[in-house]
Amino acid sequence: MGARDPLSEEEGAALELGAELRLGAFDLEIELAVPAGCCLALAGPSGAGKSTVLRVVAGLLRPDRGNVRCGEATWLDTEAGIDLPPELRRCGYVFQDYALFPHLRAWQNVAYGPRREVRGRAERRRRAEALLERFGVAHLADAYPRTLSGGERQRVALARALAPRPRALLLDEPLAALDSRTRAAATRELASVLREAEVPTLLVTHDFAEAATLGDTVAVMAEGKLVQRGRAADLAARPVSAFVADLTGAVVLSGVARPGAEGLTLVDLDGGGAIASVDHATGPVTVSVFPWEIALEPPGGSGSARNRLAVEVASVTELGSRVRVGLEGPQPLAAEVTAASARALGLAPGRTVVATWKAAATRLTSS
Amino acid sequence: MSAVRPFRAIVTVALAFALCFLTLPVVAIFAGTPPGELVASLGDPAALDALSLSLQATLAALAVIVVVGAPAAYALATRSFRGRSAVITLVELPLVLPPAVAGIALLAALGPQGLLGGWLEDAGVRLVFETAGVIVALVFVAAPFFISQAQAAFSAVDRTWLDASRTLGATEARTFLSVMVPSALPGLLSGLALAWGRALGEFGATLIFAGSLSGVTQTAPLAIYELFATDLNAALALSAVLVAISAALLLSVKLVGGRVAPGLLAR
Amino acid sequence: MRRARALVAGLCTLAALASLAAAGCGRQGPAQDAEEPLTVSAAASLAEAFGRYGEGVEGGRPRYSFAGSDELAAQIRQGARPDVYAAANTKLPEALHREGLVERPVTFTTNALVLAVPADSAIDALSDLERPGADLVVGSPSVPVGSYTREVLWRLGPQRAELILAGVRSREPDVKGVVAKLVAGAADAGFVYRSDVVAAGGRLRALALPGRLRPQAAYAAAVVRGGERHALARRFVGGLRSGRGARILRAAGFGPPPR
Repeated sequence: MGARDPLSEEEGAALELGAELRLGAFDLEIELAVPAGCCLALAGPSGAGKSTVLRVVAGLLRPDRGNVRCGEATWLDTEAGIDLPPELRRCGYVFQDYALFPHLRAWQNVAYGPRREVRGRAERRRRAEALLERFGVAHLADAYPRTLSGGERQRVALARALAPRPRALLLDEPLAALDSRTRAAATRELASVLREAEVPTLLVTHDFAEAATLGDTVAVMAEGKLVQRGRAADLAARPVSAFVADLTGAVVLSGVARPGAEGLTLVDLDGGGAIASVDHATGPVTVSVFPWEIALEPPGGSGSARNRLAVEVASVTELGSRVRVGLEGPQPLAAEVTAASARALGLAPGRTVVATWKAAATRLTSS
Repeated sequence: MSAVRPFRAIVTVALAFALCFLTLPVVAIFAGTPPGELVASLGDPAALDALSLSLQATLAALAVIVVVGAPAAYALATRSFRGRSAVITLVELPLVLPPAVAGIALLAALGPQGLLGGWLEDAGVRLVFETAGVIVALVFVAAPFFISQAQAAFSAVDRTWLDASRTLGATEARTFLSVMVPSALPGLLSGLALAWGRALGEFGATLIFAGSLSGVTQTAPLAIYELFATDLNAALALSAVLVAISAALLLSVKLVGGRVAPGLLAR
Repeated sequence: MRRARALVAGLCTLAALASLAAAGCGRQGPAQDAEEPLTVSAAASLAEAFGRYGEGVEGGRPRYSFAGSDELAAQIRQGARPDVYAAANTKLPEALHREGLVERPVTFTTNALVLAVPADSAIDALSDLERPGADLVVGSPSVPVGSYTREVLWRLGPQRAELILAGVRSREPDVKGVVAKLVAGAADAGFVYRSDVVAAGGRLRALALPGRLRPQAAYAAAVVRGGERHALARRFVGGLRSGRGARILRAAGFGPPPR
């Protein structure tokens, strides 16, 4: 997305943040940096403190200790006694429920930010409409927010956040309020907006897939701390913990590892059955596998895959051209197969199949 | 089913009773005298003076109440501080004070012999027997109506709207004026109407604190009381005008409250 | 079962309320309608004296309503039916008598209009009021004390009257309003009755007006027609002219009735 390598955050980071803050159940303690033109997606379960990070950056919440820098400017330095109010930081903030002003029309919402810079109502309206046009909602300029659909509100909110030329973009669950039909298109649009953005962007989401699609890098947060940070694919491939693996959508199994033949590690699964992995570990471990790595075969077949578990189909859910199959075995797991192969196998709840995957697709983390 | 019907009957009867009881005296004001006579009685210059004084004094009091009360209500609605609920209770106290107590309390605080009396005199401020004193009395009794309504209205405004305004570059003051006030407008208007109604009807505190002198401190309710002893028709006429103004006020607020902020409905 | 218990509880509550009500009635005096206390509408200036007089009258302490004589008369014209009406002049009871609302009025006492000032005031004479700066409070023209005040001032001649009236800062609906403004220190001087200065107990000083100015402030009381306790009401009015009633009025600063 940006021309820069998103992981080389040490030099030229446009947005830097360090904050410590006592929250209700835990302490927020976080440090992160985002280069200009890059998007860092903060992923994690709700209540992990993700939105709090955005509020600290925007100046809506003052941490007990910390600093926020954007480019050359210091927005917050609790030790130096610097704390710029939100209006001087100028973050483009898209709130979870968009927080459009209900008493203003769509164009007035967009024109609210740059009111100082732009003289004259006609000129303000012209500029606001140009931005709305960019998001394909210019025809709704005169509508009040309550008459807009979720997708339309999201576009107006984006246009409003970008209107004052913000120095950083903060997006709090920008897609969560949308229904599944509009979400796919909205995700594509948002991705293109972020590609064009020249400022650092922080995006908060509880959905790892969304984080993977929109973020150049993904940082996983739990209970106020950063757990792991990297490219989405790396996080999915090498989760540092079962928590990250679970968040990325992997199937998580538990068992006890011991060394096996050919340099492989064998894991005796709790509840029965054994599987092999190329990772090295001994003792209690967490096993993670991605559903799309798991293939299903009719009983009795013999494939090349090392790991084979006899399971029973519990549920079949279509996801577009793919089908997610819930499975009951020694431990519950899930597979994702194409619709065609689901039909070929005649998958239906109650049917017995064999779940197979490679030792190389089996990741172990000591637990 | 049979247990439900008697209750429905009771509810209906209670409503009918309440309606009659609350409207009959008002109707009687107009029923007692033919309209022509009511209008003619209004020719009394003392009555007209009282009416115009009432309008001027209540409007001045409302201006003070809005200018000071709205920011105060905003502070109560948005800030959390020690003793906040005690402050709220103190601000609302005049709501439950009998008007006569309010008048005596004002005299004890701001009268020539009152707590701040000497200080006010040094500053050249006279309140007792002056129109300014009427306004002070009206502000004292009516402000809590506005402040408590405004506080409720401000508290109900979604805080993320305020946050959004700040991140868009607006100062807290502009956020207050451009987002908070418009969003809370229906509540603010109804608080204003309540305060105005209370101020228009003020009698005891005004009489005790400011006195009663035609053209200076004699508001419409004081004039009605004086006219009652000498000219019942004139008293009825002035009462009718007050009723009309108050009813118009109530009605316009109910209508305007619904229209003024179209974006706020059914959100 | 539950219904029965609720019924019993309800009946008990009713019984308790009924006995409370009965006890409340009993406390008022002997449980006979004829012995219920009198209702008396009286001029505000009579409040202290009538309060004391009421302690010892037949039928128990009356229920008093003290206000401006004019307001009380207006209430009677509007249909209020106290047993006794006592005014700070003779005009109002006579007018009500002519209208057939009250029996023949009895003039039972007199009072002197005085200029009252706070005890520590520098004002010493009526002429001090002719200089600007003194805040004067009077009764409204419709209340007896207000009309007496105007009578006095016009006897000074229109020029002096105008000068003094220019200092009027409030027209109170009854004489107690004037007294209150003086006691609270809100006003510098006010026209009230001698009895009011006595009642204010040292906080006010009375400046007697020259004899030629003094109006005849005669008080008249009348039994209101339409009441059920005429005999009791007549004894209440009759008792004011002599004996205990007269002594109490004299002690409160009132004068003897004119002969």
